[in-house]
Amino acid sequence: MAKNQLKKTFLAPLGKDNPVFVQILGICSTLAVTNKLQNTMVMTLGVMFTTALSSWTISLLRNHIPSRIRMMVETMVIATFVIVVDIVLKAFFPDMWKQLGPYVGLIITNCIVMGRVEAFALQNKPSLSLIDGLASGLGYTYVLMAIAFVRELLGTGSLWGYQILGSWWTNWAIMIMPPGGFFMLAIFIWIVKEVITKEAKHV
Amino acid sequence: MSDTLFPIAIFFASIFTGNILLTNYLGMCSFLAVSKELETSAGLGIAVTFVLTVTTPLNWLVYKFLLVPFGLEYLRFIVFIIVIAAFVQLIEMAIERYSEGLYYALGIFLPLITVNCAILGASLFMVIREYNFVSSIFFGLGSGLGWFIAIVAMAGIRQKLRTAKVPPGLEGAGITLVIAGFMAMAFMGFSGMIAVS
Amino acid sequence: MKAKETFFSKRIYPLLFMLIVTVVCILATSGLYLATQDRAMANELSFTRRAILDAAGISYQPTQSGIETAYLQNIEEQQGYFTALVANDTRYIILLEGPGLWGKISIMAGFEQDLKTFSGLAIVSQNETPGLGARIEEPWFTEQFKGKVPPFVLVEEGTADAADEIDAITGATRTSEYFRNLANSAATEASRIIGRQ
Repeated sequence: MAKNQLKKTFLAPLGKDNPVFVQILGICSTLAVTNKLQNTMVMTLGVMFTTALSSWTISLLRNHIPSRIRMMVETMVIATFVIVVDIVLKAFFPDMWKQLGPYVGLIITNCIVMGRVEAFALQNKPSLSLIDGLASGLGYTYVLMAIAFVRELLGTGSLWGYQILGSWWTNWAIMIMPPGGFFMLAIFIWIVKEVITKEAKHV
Repeated sequence: MSDTLFPIAIFFASIFTGNILLTNYLGMCSFLAVSKELETSAGLGIAVTFVLTVTTPLNWLVYKFLLVPFGLEYLRFIVFIIVIAAFVQLIEMAIERYSEGLYYALGIFLPLITVNCAILGASLFMVIREYNFVSSIFFGLGSGLGWFIAIVAMAGIRQKLRTAKVPPGLEGAGITLVIAGFMAMAFMGFSGMIAVS
Repeated sequence: MKAKETFFSKRIYPLLFMLIVTVVCILATSGLYLATQDRAMANELSFTRRAILDAAGISYQPTQSGIETAYLQNIEEQQGYFTALVANDTRYIILLEGPGLWGKISIMAGFEQDLKTFSGLAIVSQNETPGLGARIEEPWFTEQFKGKVPPFVLVEEGTADAADEIDAITGATRTSEYFRNLANSAATEASRIIGRQ
């Protein structure tokens, strides 16, 4: 049974409880950098790291946190992990750190992190919370990577910084500009919802 | 170079050309959730504007006089979010005590604001772009008004959409994002108009 | 069974708990910050040196030690500017700052002996929008200034061929314009700084 629960905890955020396209959470901080795959990767890894470890920490403390200061403690823990991400990036990936600028700090207000801590970690044991945080981060990562893939490919004709499409390709400038992010996310949600409703009808 | 960073230019740029919601996607969560109703949108918009206008310069002061002198810049994430949370709490307590009407109009939105990325975002941008004190006030006010305009316009459009036939997969968040995309395109049209130089 | 609310559990314990959490968090981040501080500072220095080398048009191994070796071999620090001896010609490199769309842009501008022709150009810092204005950092953009004489004219991305034409960045018109202005002012600025010595 415990194994089943683990599996369920891990799989739910990847599919039917996906934080991005089902719960529409946490797109604030990362959508802005989805016009490049590399930046998206680093940002989503940061979110995954923060979600997993914050969930784990809060879950460890869950029986000791006085309820009236719960939010404050959570924010403090989350902010600490985000600072860790920021410092590590600055020291080991300075080029990336410069490009992402303020967006790393905005992981603090990413609704996914706080959302998982509030909805899951407060009621479950640490190991399970860690898995849940990781899986939520992973569910988040692949959706945004998919968006970044399309935006970078159509917008600049390249992927991961390497030119893929030849000179015959005309860059869709709108894709790398802000509206492109909104449209891509909308299209993604549309497709996923259509697929889910179709499956539900068949079953 | 000081004339380009002139507060008035920043003010207009942050409302139109660099709208914090439509170009930086900040504050999306509450934007998507609340923009169904015109009245609640306006309420939240006002609350966000107010908190942004105060906390951005407040964080500027904290950063300049508490963090920089001690070399503690790396703690700014924690400190900024605490300042914002404390300020929101304070306002909530104050209006609860002194004005019942205002509390019912705005009070319910205040808890939502601490986790609104736009508020923390403005403070972080203000630091990284090295604004001065006056500019940071105008930047906070402009960003807030930009957010207000975006959410109120969205709420107006969504009210009209209520009777429209939307493909089932696009209902709710999907169509809202499509509209936001068009709004972002419309706002890009301002970029030629406001000469910041 | 719920424990009885005592004065301790209601007032003191939350405060104490918060205090402990705060202290632990700050200690942890401070420790990490101090542990990586040297590294971060070395990165900063390396960034500046790489920009100077790029501006002087000197090639180097793209590692931290490679940059250091090339820098120490070729670059001489003068009062307010840098010089490099390349093929018996002196190149001059100056640090230049100007406004961008969102904040300050700092560049290293390198000139041939005539103080007019660019030997190279590199970005030191900028705060433009990632993926749009921030693309001024990409090599194709900065390299197109090499060997050209200001003033420059902006043309559509990918179409520059005349000696005074520079590819603008699609979607970042304002940033491109600011950058062009900065590059155009570089030659006069260079003769002012270096002529004064």
